[in-house]
Amino acid sequence: MDYFDRFAIPHPSPVIYASMVAIGITVLAIIAGLTYFKKWGYLWREWLTTVDHKRIGIMYLISALLMLFRGGVDAIMLRAQLSVPENKLLDAQHYNEIFSTHGVVMILFMAMPFIIALMNFVVPLQIGARDVAFPRLNALSFWLFFMGAMLFNISFVVGGSPDAGWTSYFPLAGNEFSESVGTNYYMIAIQIAGIGTLMTGINFMTTILRMRAPGMTLMKMPMFTWSSLITNLIIVFAFPVLTVTLAMGTMDRLFGTNFFTTDNGGMDMLWANLFWVWGHPEVYILILPAFGIYSEVISTFARRNLYGYKSMVASMVAISFLSFLVWAHHFFTMGQGALTNSIFSITTMAIAVPTGVKIFNWLLTLWKGKIVITTPMLYSLLFIPLFTLGGVTGVMLGMSAADYQYHNTMFLVAHFHMVIIPGVIFAMLAGLTYYWPKMFGFMLNERIGKWAAWLIAIGTLVAFMPMFFSGLDGQARRMYTYSESTGFGIYNMISFIGALVLAVGFVLIVYNIYYSTRYASRDISSDPWDARSLEWATHTPVPEYNFAILPQVNSTEALWDAKKKGHVLFKGEYEKIHMPNNSGVPFIMGCIFFAWGFSFVFGMWIPLILTTIGIFACMALRSFEKDHGRYISVEEIEETETKLRGAN
Amino acid sequence: MKIDNSLPLEYSTEENRLKVLGFWIFLGAEIMLFATLFATYFTLFDRTAGGPTGAEIFEITPVLIETILLLTSSFTIGLGIHAMRLGNKKAMLSFFAITLLLGAGFLGFEIFEFVTYVHEGAGLQTSAFTSILLTTLGTHGAHVTLGLFWGLFIILQVKKRGLTPETANKSFIFSLYWHFLDVVWIFIFSFIYLKGMM
Amino acid sequence: MKELFPPKQVMGFVLSLTLTVVALSVYFLNMSFAVGMTVLLVTAFVQAGLQLVVFMHAGESEDKAAIYTNVYYGLALALITVFGTLLAMVWDM
Repeated sequence: MDYFDRFAIPHPSPVIYASMVAIGITVLAIIAGLTYFKKWGYLWREWLTTVDHKRIGIMYLISALLMLFRGGVDAIMLRAQLSVPENKLLDAQHYNEIFSTHGVVMILFMAMPFIIALMNFVVPLQIGARDVAFPRLNALSFWLFFMGAMLFNISFVVGGSPDAGWTSYFPLAGNEFSESVGTNYYMIAIQIAGIGTLMTGINFMTTILRMRAPGMTLMKMPMFTWSSLITNLIIVFAFPVLTVTLAMGTMDRLFGTNFFTTDNGGMDMLWANLFWVWGHPEVYILILPAFGIYSEVISTFARRNLYGYKSMVASMVAISFLSFLVWAHHFFTMGQGALTNSIFSITTMAIAVPTGVKIFNWLLTLWKGKIVITTPMLYSLLFIPLFTLGGVTGVMLGMSAADYQYHNTMFLVAHFHMVIIPGVIFAMLAGLTYYWPKMFGFMLNERIGKWAAWLIAIGTLVAFMPMFFSGLDGQARRMYTYSESTGFGIYNMISFIGALVLAVGFVLIVYNIYYSTRYASRDISSDPWDARSLEWATHTPVPEYNFAILPQVNSTEALWDAKKKGHVLFKGEYEKIHMPNNSGVPFIMGCIFFAWGFSFVFGMWIPLILTTIGIFACMALRSFEKDHGRYISVEEIEETETKLRGAN
Repeated sequence: MKIDNSLPLEYSTEENRLKVLGFWIFLGAEIMLFATLFATYFTLFDRTAGGPTGAEIFEITPVLIETILLLTSSFTIGLGIHAMRLGNKKAMLSFFAITLLLGAGFLGFEIFEFVTYVHEGAGLQTSAFTSILLTTLGTHGAHVTLGLFWGLFIILQVKKRGLTPETANKSFIFSLYWHFLDVVWIFIFSFIYLKGMM
Repeated sequence: MKELFPPKQVMGFVLSLTLTVVALSVYFLNMSFAVGMTVLLVTAFVQAGLQLVVFMHAGESEDKAAIYTNVYYGLALALITVFGTLLAMVWDM
């Protein structure tokens, strides 16, 4: 039985046992449901083996929403524990595990798939392409991300969760202080998902650089496509750093190397350094697509073209480069000299300039616009003031001398939540509402949507503004409790109430999806928002080949030109269309990666070797495979087009 | 599939052009991968914790042989691609085979070098310096090993299927990978070995 | 036989061997650290450029601009990462 002890939870509690039961029941229910409704074949043919960017986008979206709730429950538990002094709801160990997983899940398994979901769905449509450059690779990216996320998520029921923070600093994350396999999960699950993300980066860069519709030069790309191009550029150059860093961390924990140890010459600070060489660009990987979404939404609902297109592009290019120059501001207090801190202070403040340019461009787009307040627009309007609060506190933190006061306090926690929630989450929710009709053929209810937007905005303010004050008063982050005499109690109680308001907001979004699925009209046009770019020029639901005839583009707003200026988008006759074949290999490879990761976490070397061989076998198979895709005939296209035109 | 006959086979279809560009972008990512290893190496190289230093364990002879083997293999794969563009399948396959043999020779010397290091007390766990040294060399060596299998698969495919847009594209991309490994080795040779022995 | 050995690539190979010999001088000759590092930096980067242009045909396709931008961008970030890390972790610690 000793062998199986390693799979046990080191710090069990009734909550965890309940979760185990809940997971078991859910899995059984899904299996039973699929069997009862005879949906296994459908699931395999239409989803698990798909290489269609739209379906992959939707799978990313579903994963992101699931992870949002996993991370959200973590957040509520954290705030509940801190709501009153000396609370006994969670013990220190559980608190550590929950804040660690909350961070990882929210950043890597919620925000990342959310932006990749929108990129997958929107970018090929927006540039008038039929799919991404490498559809099969795209499917593999998704399955690697998904399996990485699942591997990370089983940690709390098999073997124990990571407990060294989402940054996993050494020596805390080393074997000496993190004895359970939790940190192994961290290293390996993120590694698997990260490789998937890297492939996404390569795929989308190639797609955007080479597959644009005729006439769409780089400076005629819609803003979301521009932001995706820059984001993927950052992904390509930042993620390899994470790959190496995690590999070295894994080796320290499992093979006894001395990269980040405190003896034999190891340097624990190097982990923090390398982590943030990836970590800071990662922040911009999240925020740039969000900026892209805001640009689309604001220009659509201000009913005018985006102000300062060129400065928008220039500021993103500047951000992409500067984002690699600021990483040391995450550890100003680690002991390096004033020279280093000054350099990184200056670069940090410099990056606020292009960001400010973007804010003013949005404001000037609104200026003289005919604003229509829809749910996506409401999120965008709420974003501007709230994000600015988060942004300017970032500039405060960027001053290295002052940072000695703010470092590791709740002030910092308030700052990055005030940046990420209004910046990224609002954008993703705006994007979700905005693109929902294109994805699913009906609109989300506006009334419930606006209620949710207001609740989430108010919840954000109530939950995070008090942290600025308690942080300046000295409340450290990541402390599982505090005494009454500190006076932090009231701030934390307000925060907890804010967190509950946020929770209600997110539940309303789910309710909205349910309500709209049941009651919303299916009789909508293919362009329900009266939008401006190509993704709205095709039918709803979008046919598999996206565009029967590739569109001709002459400006950044091709559809608007077609609607208002008589520009002809689709010229010519139907021709047969080449499409890629579906494949089960990416899914199977994902499953092998899951087994590989699990074996690695527990140091089970024989399964590890077998699964490694399995991975290479899949790659060899791909090398020898002859797959030339298939053609959709002109008759089939005509049939589909007639049917879809009838539907609108 | 539209084939443009005015271009070399490896660029002749849009799919091929996508793949070549995609692979270049991947090489950009590889630059950062090795840059991270180098950054770590330079940070840790004098942290030997009483274990052997670079100057004590590096030997010029095997390193020089490895360098010449790899440089020559980079030359021969270039000739292989040139022969492919002339449509000379036989010459191309010969050059590819020579490349892989030189690569295997390189790998043999590298393994011999590793065994020597471990014998001399410079194992993976000895010190921060040996950890990063062996990891950096090992990462490059793993790339070469993967390349040997990949190259072999390509030789088999060209032999069986002939020079088609598809096989030519694979061969060209493989040559990019192989040249890139040579570039990385130049940096290892210069800034790990020669700098360490200077 | 002759057409299999294009002069450009042969010259490239000869040049890369020459650069290796020049780099080796830091081992066989006695020179200061600064001079040695300069020699290594120059030979390594010239060698890399040689591979890129002569052997990898970086400039031959219509994606030339994208490919060079990508490589230079990667190179710039690589140098920033290496020297930034050294600054924060070693030189200014």
